[in-house]
Amino acid sequence: MAMSDTTPAPRASARAASGFRLDWRTIVLVLLVLGLAYQVVIPFVMIIWTSLKTVRPGDPEFLSLTVTFANYARAFGSSGFWAATWNTLSFATASTLAAFIVGAFIAWVVERTDTPLAKLIGMILIGRIIIPGILITISWILIASPNIGILNQFINQMFGVRNFFNIYTFWGMVWVQSIEMVPLTYLLLSASFQAMDPRLEEASTMTGAGNWRTLRRISLPLALPAALAALMLLFVTSIETFEVPLLMGGRAGIRVFSTEIFFNTSRTPIDWGLSATYSVAMLSVCIALLFVYFRLLRHGERYQTVTGKDFRPRRIELGRWKYLTSALALLIVFIITGIPLLMMIYVSLLGFYQAPSWAAVQSMSLDNYRTLFSSASAMMPMLNSTILGIATATAVVLVVSLIAYFVHKTQIRGRKLLDYLAFAPIAIPSVILGSTFLWFYLLVPVPVIGTLTIIGLAYLTKYLPFALRFVSNSMMQIHPELDEAAQVAGVPWWRNFFKVTLPLLKPGLLAAWFWVMVHAYRELTVALMLARSENRTAAVLIFDFWDRGSFMQISAFGVLMFSLLLVLVLISHWIGKRYGIQDQH
Amino acid sequence: MIRVEGLRKTFQSKNETVHAIRDVSFEVGSGEIVTLLGPSGCGKTTTLRCIAGLEKPTGGKIAIGDRHVVDVEAGAFIPPHRRDLGMVFQSYAIWPHMNVIENVAYALEGRGLSKADMRQQAMKALDTVQMAHLADRPAPRLSGGQQQRVAIARALVGHPQALLFDEPLSNLDAKLRNEMRKELRRLQQQIGLTSVYVTHDQSEALAISDWVILMKDGAIVEKGRPTDIYRRPRSVFTAQFIGTTNLIPGRLESRDGSQVAVATSHGRLVGVEPTGALEVGAKVQVSVRPEAMHAGAAAGPNVNSLSGALELAVFAGSAVEAEVRANGEKILCLLDYDADRTAGHDISLHFSSDDTLVLADA
Ligand SMILES: Nc1ncnc2c1ncn2[C@@H]1O[C@H](COP(=O)(O)OP(=O)(O)OP(=O)(O)O)[C@@H](O)[C@H]1O
Ligand SMILES: [Mg+2]
Repeated sequence: MAMSDTTPAPRASARAASGFRLDWRTIVLVLLVLGLAYQVVIPFVMIIWTSLKTVRPGDPEFLSLTVTFANYARAFGSSGFWAATWNTLSFATASTLAAFIVGAFIAWVVERTDTPLAKLIGMILIGRIIIPGILITISWILIASPNIGILNQFINQMFGVRNFFNIYTFWGMVWVQSIEMVPLTYLLLSASFQAMDPRLEEASTMTGAGNWRTLRRISLPLALPAALAALMLLFVTSIETFEVPLLMGGRAGIRVFSTEIFFNTSRTPIDWGLSATYSVAMLSVCIALLFVYFRLLRHGERYQTVTGKDFRPRRIELGRWKYLTSALALLIVFIITGIPLLMMIYVSLLGFYQAPSWAAVQSMSLDNYRTLFSSASAMMPMLNSTILGIATATAVVLVVSLIAYFVHKTQIRGRKLLDYLAFAPIAIPSVILGSTFLWFYLLVPVPVIGTLTIIGLAYLTKYLPFALRFVSNSMMQIHPELDEAAQVAGVPWWRNFFKVTLPLLKPGLLAAWFWVMVHAYRELTVALMLARSENRTAAVLIFDFWDRGSFMQISAFGVLMFSLLLVLVLISHWIGKRYGIQDQH
Repeated sequence: MIRVEGLRKTFQSKNETVHAIRDVSFEVGSGEIVTLLGPSGCGKTTTLRCIAGLEKPTGGKIAIGDRHVVDVEAGAFIPPHRRDLGMVFQSYAIWPHMNVIENVAYALEGRGLSKADMRQQAMKALDTVQMAHLADRPAPRLSGGQQQRVAIARALVGHPQALLFDEPLSNLDAKLRNEMRKELRRLQQQIGLTSVYVTHDQSEALAISDWVILMKDGAIVEKGRPTDIYRRPRSVFTAQFIGTTNLIPGRLESRDGSQVAVATSHGRLVGVEPTGALEVGAKVQVSVRPEAMHAGAAAGPNVNSLSGALELAVFAGSAVEAEVRANGEKILCLLDYDADRTAGHDISLHFSSDDTLVLADA
């Protein structure tokens, strides 16, 4: 009886104090909104403002309020602009379709059929993400470029046909770009293939519908939102892609937006106005696409199913065909992952660049690695990338979990704004992001240019939307009753956030962290735009080597970079497991 | 109507072989509801899916009407969409990209009906399950009970030869489940549909079916009318799975037709041995339902009795549920609602030999 006299007192005080706590929450929210606005709105403003100016950022005239459409007139009046538009769109369309078809095939094989080795195939594809895009591009150049391409040398020796393949063409670029995007496609589609309830198809069959009607009226409409969303994202990705056009576009004569922007900002003659104009055009296209994407997604919300208890994803039995699908999927995976990797390893062991032969094997050595290890200028970028990867991932995940918490778990006004702000950067192509950060810090007297900080800040913006998606998804799965229970018990919100929400979010957080870490580690575009001598990252160094034509060093460095990233991933994975964080599967 | 003969199904995976069904045979007469009942994993769903054609059996045959839809030995297999069956899935499998009426009308596609006819028939089916007023609601915005009714309407609308239900009520709360149970039974009698109904809920099975088939580990343990299977279970498993029962171990002493006498720690008990297969001297279990136990001493050739101390009595409205400790064994019984509930007092119980079942010790 004594208990009941004493317990109400602390309860009551907790309730009374909750008004005050709510204020703290508002303060955190306001800070978040301001921080995000700084990180996200500035790039948009910078781009538009620069495109309306004929002087460079940093010039006193730049801040005057007079604007001009001279840049637009110049761009729209030049045939180069329209050629770049056409090239960008056709290149993006072709690459998107190719990557989609291959990626969808593999996702279907892995998730929905009884194909042998399906798991392995899926794992290798996801693992491929840790190979930097620039290395993939370079390895295909080494394989199929005229004169030096290994495949061409072979064909020349065997059939006497010179330069059978030429990777420096439109279709060569599409080949490399779509290969680069297949793992992404797989990642985007496999989740929705997994989530698909086979009962829905069986229910159709039971009403007397044949396979064709079931496919047309049930399976395809159900898969459509996910497929369209994937197509949109792939399209945006291939519009803003940089490595392939940068290394191949020049010789192929295919100039696209991203390379135009890069050359106009970082190579003399620098033309800020023009590159900003290109940026505005590119940004518009991306925003338009994403607008469609969200319309589709909203439409797709009605497709979300309530799955019942007997959910047991069923795999289609392919009979003898399963060996064919397995072989085909393995071949694709080999082309996508195996070839670039083997190529890198092979070239990294050579003294001088040559096609594989007995003589080449005999001349192999580890000299390239020794040279790298003894050179501080090569090791520094590696360290920079490691620091950037870990720091960015940690910062992004922290920010994103707060955002997701506010957006999905509170009713505070203004939380929607957070969601929009954090998602907006998805429309900003990396080249533009890089240049706006450069321009902005040319204007403001904060000494970050030439440091890792500026790259990290740009990355923070760049990776917010992706990380938010991972975390939001798991946040939505946490039942509101868990929060309500804590509220009823008088637990302060921050305590609840750290003790209840965060641990339940671990799988999503971990996925987001890995994703950002790997991508920030291998990122080239932003880092290249912001690179000075001290803050070069590993990917930037590879580009430098490429400029100097040292294939063997590139390969050795690439292998090293890949191995280091692998080790990093394994260590963090181990730490994650050790501390009870379960994998998301 | 539906005849299943020697059905077998094994699932082969890398490291194990699951015998989901081993030799199951039964028949469903025209217009009857037959329930497949059994604990989780006993192969009910698999049996149903074999009938539906969603699973290919490893052995045996299935006939629906006068067609053999599967005959493994003869290599015959009619795919599910040509079997003319309706099915209600455990997860309902309502198509989320269609609204209620579209879900139902879809089942009428490919029959050369006009749009208006399809809509009208779909409306009629929705009316039967009292969902007509929600015809235009998007499917994902339905409650569990509503989804289930749409699923039933969808299965009914094409007037299939037979309906298959896979635990259709398991996602509902107790009250709704009770209502739906009655509604299903009403529909069944109204339309006279032949149905196979899967459940692991024994009271549902008793309430809804004409015949109950009890399964365990992929095989049929027992089949019978609900009343028989409840009152005259032929095995300890059945007696325990369906309803609650007291089991008293003993040894068969003598037999007189189906009447037997058993030596137990409570003395000699007289009862019925339903299988007629037990030998004198066999180890047995005597099964008596709690509601067959009555308080007070009584004697007679067909009356058994035992006595003990009341351990626990719980008032449950129409009766008192009581635990009596007799010779160290716990006996459950139902007492009158005004019975003396003080714990510890001595109590005598008697029960008729007709309610005393003697079953083989499992
Ligand atoms: N596709 C499959 N692959 C492997 N094993 C399976 C498969 N489907 C069913 N099984 C196994 O077969 C057995 C019977 O499964 P079934 O789904 O028929 O059980 P159930 O009686 O419906 O159970 P519940 O009441 O839990 O629904 C189980 O042991 C199950 O694990
Ligand atoms: Mg089941």
